[in-house]
Formats: sequence, structure tokens, C-alpha cells
Amino acid sequence: MKITAGRRELAAGMLGLAGLALARPASAFVGPRPECIAPSAPGGGWDFTCRTVGRLMQELKVVEQPVQVSNMPGAVGAVAYANVTGRRNSDNNLFVATSTVGLTQIAQRRYPGDVDRVRWLAMLGADTGVILVRADSRFKTLGDFLDALKSDPTSVVTGGSSSLGGYDHLRLLLLAQKAGIASADLKKFRWIHYDGGGPAVTQMLGGHVEVVSTDLAEIAGFVEAGQIRVLGTMSEARLAGSFANIPTAREQGFDVVGLNWRGFYTGGRVSDEHYNAMVAGLKRVYDSDGWKEAARRSGLQPIWRSGPEFERFVANMVTELRSLSQEIGIIS
Amino acid sequence: MDIIPSLANGFAVAAQPMNLLVAFIGCFVGTVIGALPGIGPVNGIAILIPLAFSLDLSPVSALILLTSVYYGSMFGGRIASILLNIPGDSSAVVTCIDGFPMAKKGRAADALAISAISSFFGGTLATVGLTVLAPSLAMAAIHFGPREYFALYVMAIIIVGGIATGNPAKTLVAGLLGLVIGTVGIDPATGIPRFTFGAYELYEGIDFVIVAIGLFAISEFLIYIEQRRTGPVEQVPVGRRTTALRRLTYPATSLRASLLGFVIGVLPGAGATLASFMGYALEKRVSDKENTFGKGDPRGVAAPEAADNAAAGGSLVPMLTLGVPGSGTTAIMLGMLVTLNVQPGPLLFQQQPDIVWGLVAALYVSNIILLILNIPLVGIFAKLLSVPPHYLMPGVVTVSFLGVYSVNQNSFDLLMMVGFGVFGYLLRKMSIPLVPVVLGIILGTPMEQSLRRALAASGGDVWTLFQSPLALGLHAVTAIIVAIAILRESRRRIGEAAATRGA
Amino acid sequence: MSDRIVGVLLALFAGWYSWEAGSYAVDFGDPMGPAFFPELLAPPLGLLGLYLVLRPDPEPEWSTGRYLLSQAATVVVLVAYALLLQPMGFILATLLMVTCLTAMLGARLPQALGGGAATSLGAFALFDWLLGIPLPPGIAFGG
Repeated sequence: MKITAGRRELAAGMLGLAGLALARPASAFVGPRPECIAPSAPGGGWDFTCRTVGRLMQELKVVEQPVQVSNMPGAVGAVAYANVTGRRNSDNNLFVATSTVGLTQIAQRRYPGDVDRVRWLAMLGADTGVILVRADSRFKTLGDFLDALKSDPTSVVTGGSSSLGGYDHLRLLLLAQKAGIASADLKKFRWIHYDGGGPAVTQMLGGHVEVVSTDLAEIAGFVEAGQIRVLGTMSEARLAGSFANIPTAREQGFDVVGLNWRGFYTGGRVSDEHYNAMVAGLKRVYDSDGWKEAARRSGLQPIWRSGPEFERFVANMVTELRSLSQEIGIIS
Repeated sequence: MDIIPSLANGFAVAAQPMNLLVAFIGCFVGTVIGALPGIGPVNGIAILIPLAFSLDLSPVSALILLTSVYYGSMFGGRIASILLNIPGDSSAVVTCIDGFPMAKKGRAADALAISAISSFFGGTLATVGLTVLAPSLAMAAIHFGPREYFALYVMAIIIVGGIATGNPAKTLVAGLLGLVIGTVGIDPATGIPRFTFGAYELYEGIDFVIVAIGLFAISEFLIYIEQRRTGPVEQVPVGRRTTALRRLTYPATSLRASLLGFVIGVLPGAGATLASFMGYALEKRVSDKENTFGKGDPRGVAAPEAADNAAAGGSLVPMLTLGVPGSGTTAIMLGMLVTLNVQPGPLLFQQQPDIVWGLVAALYVSNIILLILNIPLVGIFAKLLSVPPHYLMPGVVTVSFLGVYSVNQNSFDLLMMVGFGVFGYLLRKMSIPLVPVVLGIILGTPMEQSLRRALAASGGDVWTLFQSPLALGLHAVTAIIVAIAILRESRRRIGEAAATRGA
Repeated sequence: MSDRIVGVLLALFAGWYSWEAGSYAVDFGDPMGPAFFPELLAPPLGLLGLYLVLRPDPEPEWSTGRYLLSQAATVVVLVAYALLLQPMGFILATLLMVTCLTAMLGARLPQALGGGAATSLGAFALFDWLLGIPLPPGIAFGG
């Protein structure tokens, strides 16, 4: 037993020395055991964020030890949030993946505490919300689909990878709102929850759900294979590359931007020095070609926001999502 | 694309010395990890990922490492089931029913050998299926919608009743209690926490590992204390295999169970657990002529083992071709693939054929390595039972605590495990079987979700459940199963009544 | 008798379960809601409970005397272990638990201590070193 304790201390000591030798605190990304918590089961978007960024950090030598990815699924991130705010508030080893989906939960008061309980590090990219149908669907444009909903809100079976009131559902409701559908009718929509975009789309191919609202990245392969049609992307402008021919919702007259950004937070009592070091490390990942490549492959648009700017962005977004959820009647 | 040349290329990749070595390491580590209760492929993969990166393995080699760990832990999972009556993972629950009685009779080595052989059979058959049918099967699986899944789960729950022996009312109680425990946690469809009483530890539901280890391992300990009341407990005789390997293969059983397991494995979400006990139930219906199942019938070990490994292979079909994980473990593999810049999905077979066929070939190779590795290990594992019980049993309790602790690292889970241990002890005393409880927990959530999805799509119209030929067919099979069970039961009652009158 | 008691308890539990489930509601989007499935499970559970009251199995043979005491002591040891594992650390807590359990199963104290030491050190080596599953080091070793 003495040996283990010794081994750990030795390792920590050596890392400490290494940090001293470099004499630039900014180059030591985090503590000796860098850990990224993915608040989902393996395979999901948060898991992907942690694993990709963790891999790049090691490749770019931002960290000395491999980044350990821990999966802490539960209540769409609330379990991880509770764990970090409760027990690991000042742990400078730790950064946690999150996204707009997590913020929606905070906005709807489903997390223990508000956004100010943690420190928001940075966002590195954003996934784009899309409305999907089968290639042989009766709907050719967003207008077709929203008209059908307008004339009979129960006539289309919709689904996605979030539960009722979650971000996939909320984006769809936003579109419907822009199409002039009354709030009372929004409640009548038929929404089926799936465990992810992939399962939702395969169920759509089987004809069990007609329209799917979800993020592009996970299901990009189906679009490229020509099995499904994207009615519209909820991005500010058209996407690049093979998705350039897909019209945005905005250009079809429904001004909704539904980006699911990917980023990280850390404990609320992490010191400024460590916070800045983490942001700097993430910036190096963001600037690398490896991240550009990974983002391109998975349909993310690289977008960088960090530090105070990112914290303001998060706070604004939560306010916005909260008032929307109240308006639609998801929370009181 | 022709299968034969592609596969030949795949074998050329898999047979490279580096990849063979990687497969061997993966199989060995997987077996050991699978043997520890509560520690599963997740941990195995987590341990080996840094290794894969630090050795700078190519994507194919890394994939081979992962799949061999995956298969290896499927092989290893039943070791604790057979020797200690603790299911190491959810698909090994059913193996306890006949595996542990076999070990108690001194046939532990036989049972382990049977499980290795039939696992090999199931795994290989599934790999053949994967090779030949993958793309077309994946497209067939999408016809399974919420209604069809619901029908499948109803059938599964009904079949649970047929697995256990004893009072059918108590079997049903056990299954229902399992479903009830499964409703604890956040409701995935609406995000509302149910039966959590504000405890965040319960939000994700009660982990299967906690319930299974508590119910089986801790209650076993309490039962053991009590058994000493009726005199010293006999040490289980540990032998070598009592019969030749040839006589421990059950080709007909393995074939039936493998086919069923593969089909179930291909359906995303149904998974190896469902396959293992459907395989067992099928075998019990077909072969249990002398009422030996549940008392250490070797076919009761062979069937779930073959089915469960076949399903593990089958669940790779939706993962590779649709990018939809068929089980928890394939979800991890999916995450790994993405990290390695391999994007599973409809285009994978066209875009990255080297990787796919290398992987398929590696599956064949891993299966063979596992068989070769496991047969000699059987004797060593069985030796575990020769440790005196007053050392062995506390050791098992320690490992059980660790298995549970590794899930979430908190003492709340440990307390729950002890609670379930006491609960399991009471159930056993009341002769309420434990296996249906565990299966109820596993099947509860998917069953509820498929029902809710079907009804959400129809706007609450219940008839939708029967408005699909496939679902209707499944319900019809369920009805036939129930009818046969009722008929048999009443015939048995009449027979018994006649016997008492005659006596 | 035991079956009857369990039957009554089951019926009561089913009633409470259904009642508690009834408080879970959403007012839109999901025609069945989170209460539906639990409410579906409760009636058969309650009915089976009543069935056990009416048609109980023969009485099981319950544990008595010093064996019952020994079982109760075991549960106490296990609960204590669950609570002490993190503050006390794995090695020390496991040493204590395994020693207690081994002694209760009839081994002499030196033997029990030996078993406890072997089990705790062996398990620590296996899990923490080989498998990389971090175990709580506890106060004794300074974390």
C-alpha cells in the first residue's frame, strides 16, 4: 500500500517538477490526472466531444497524461452537474462536456442550481439542427410540413432524440411558432422520444415516425447515402461542402436558428490561473488542423467563444430558453 | 462487392502478427474482466484504450483489440455465474439457473467447458451471419417499430413465467417486482423523475449491477450462514472434467439457440440478455422432457450461452450498418469507432471496406483464440471452489462491493446493494425466484418506452398496437404460449388429483 | 403465514405505488404520460398479493437463534463497510470487514486476520493497479 501512495506522490511530484521546469503555468493544462466527464452514456454527442478533444489534447501534447474520459450519464447531465457542483467544485483536473441540450435543462430548472454554479470554459463548435423526412416523403419543403401541422396539429408524427420539451422538441416548436401556429395547438403535436438521432432516423426509414427533428452530425451518413431528405437546416447560413444545397429555415421564411454548440464547463471554485490554462489548452485544440478535420467529418461548424464572452453568451441563452419554455407552457 | 475476396483481404489483415497478438491480449483481458462480477467490457475497454493510443495502433488493430475484449468478456461473464451464482453481466443471469446447480454437483469444469464451446458456436454462427447478411438484415430490422418491439417484450415477459419452476404466481410477482424497480428514475419520454424521492443517485434508475449482485451474491452469503445450522456445509467437490469434450457439445441445442439469438441481436435495442433467456426458454420447451432444467441440466447452460454470443455478433449488424448501437457495449464500441475516425452508418461498407472486413475476420479469429484459451483455463477457474468457504465467501463479498463501487463510486450504491441482498434473501426464503426480478428490471424500461412511443404516435389509441401484421403475429405466438402453459398446468393438476385419489 | 403477510404487504405496496404514480403528470404532448405504465403494473401486483393471502404455500423454515443473530450481525458489518469504505479507505475497511466475516464463519482470529489482509491487498492490487479502477485510499494513507 505504501508503494501505491508513494507511486502516486512520485508521479504528482514529477509532474509538478515538469511544470516548474517549463516555468510557464499556462502550458500545464490541468492537474496531473486530466479527466473529461461526458454526462452521457458512451456513443452520444457529449461522449464524442470528450473523446475527440481528449485525443487531440494528447496528440498536441497539451496534456502530459492521456485524458481519461468518464461517462456519468443521468438526467441529461444533471447527475454530472450535481456531482461537480457538490463534490468536485475546485478540482482542476476536471472539465465537463455540455451543449445547448444541457443549457435547455438548466433553463427549465432541471439541474440542481443555475448557470452561475460552474465556470464556463469555451465552445469549440456547433452542430446544426435539421428537419428530416424520408426521401419519398410527401413533404418537399419546410412550408409543406408546417402547413400540414397548421391545418391539423395531430396529423404528423414527429420525433427526435430529446424528451418532451428538450432541445430537439423545442426547436420544432420554435419553427411552428414562426409558422403562426397557436400555442394551444403546439401542445397537440405528436412527439416520439428516441435515444438518439440514429435510432430516430432508422425508425423514420421504417415508417414509424414521419418527421424527425435532430442534429445533423449523427445522421449525416444517411443524408449522404440519399436515404433521407433534409427539409431545412436551422443555421445562420448554408452549410459548406456536401450539404451546401440544403436550404436554411431562414431562407424559407422561418427565422429560427437552432445550433447545438459543444463546449465545456469546470467547477465553480477552480482558480483563475487554472481556468485560463484550461481555456488556453482548449484554444490550442480549436486551432489545430485535427479539430478542423474532426469537426468537418462529424458535421460540426467550428465556432470559438471563450472566457467572459462565453459566460455572457451562456447566461443570455438560458434567459432566452427559459422565457420561451414558459411561453409554450413547458415550465411555469 | 463480392464477399469472398473482401473477406480474404480481411483475413490477410487480421492474420498479421501484430493483430493476432492484439487479439490474444484482448481475449485474455476480456475473459478475466468478464469473470469479475460487475466489472464488464466497459471497464475492459477503458483500460485498453490508453494502451491502444500509446502503442499507436492502427484503426484496424484498435478495433480488433476492442472486439476481442468484447467477445472475451462475453466468454468470461459466465464464470462467476457458474461458480458463484453471481451473474457477471446481464446476459449471464440465465446461465445461473442451470450452471450453478451443475457446479454444486461437482461438474463446474464441465459447465465451464460447455459454456466455452457453445459460446464459440454461437459467436461463429453470428459472424457467418454478419458476413453474409449484414446489409440486407439491417434493412429488415427497420420494420420493427414501437408496436413490434412492444409485442416482443410482452412475449419476453410471458416467457419469463415459463423459465422458473415452482409456484407460477410467485414467478409473476417476481417479474412484476422487477418491472416496478425498473420504473425508478427519470422517465426518458418526459424527463420527469419517478420514485426517486429527490435522491440524485436514483435519477438514472437503479443500475442492474447493483440489483443483480445484491440479490444473488449477498443473499447467497446469508443463506450460507443459515445452512450451517443443519450441520457442516459440504465442500463442493472440485473435479476435472468428468466427460470428454466431444460429449460436452450440444450441436442441436447450440444451433437452435444461436439462430434465435442472432435474430434478436440484429434488432437494435433488444440485445444479448433477451436473447439468452429466450434461448433458454426455447430449449426448455423443446428438450425438458424429464424436468431436469433448473437442476443442473447441461443444455440449460449451452442454450443461453450460444444465444447470448450469437446476439453479441448480431448486434454488430445494426451498429456497423446503421450506426445504431444494439446494446450498451456496442454503444461504447460506436464511440470508439468515431474516435478512430471511422463513421459507422449506411456508407461504411462502401467507404471503409478494409476496416469492416478486417473486423469481421478478426471476429472469426477472436472466437477461435477464445476457445483455445478457455478450455485449459476451465480447470484453473474451477479450482477457485477449492478455497475454504470461510475465506472464499468474504472474498466474494469484497469483489461484489468493488463491482458495485466501480459503477458510480459512491456509498449510496453500496448501501442499496446490501438492501437488495437482504431483499433477495427474503425472496429466496419465500421461494420467489430471483431471475425474473432481474429480467423484469432489464426489460421494463424498453417495454414501457416502446408502448409509450406506439401510443404517442397514435395519439393514445390502444388499437394501434394490433394494427400491424408483424405485431399481430408476435401477439399470436404469445397467446399460443400462454394457452399451452394453461393446458399443461391443468393437465398436471388433473393428473395430480387423480394420483391423490388413487392413493 | 409468511405468504399471507407478504401478500398483504404486496397489495398495500401496489396501492401506494399506483397512488404515487398518479402524481406524475405532464399536460401536453404525451397522451399516456409517466403515470401510465406504473398504473398498469399495480393492479396485477395487488391481485397476486391477494391470491397469496388466499392460497399460501407451506411455511418456509425461518432461521432461528444464533444463526439469525449471525445473519443480523453480517448485515450490520456490511452496512458499516458501505459507510466506512470512503472515509476509512479501501485497505483498512476491507481488512476489518473480511476479518469479521471470516471469524463469524468459524475461523480463528489469526487465520481471519490473515484472510482479511490477503483479500484486501489482493483485491487492491487487482482493481487499483491492474484494472485501473481507483479505490478510495482513505485517511490512513493520506489519499
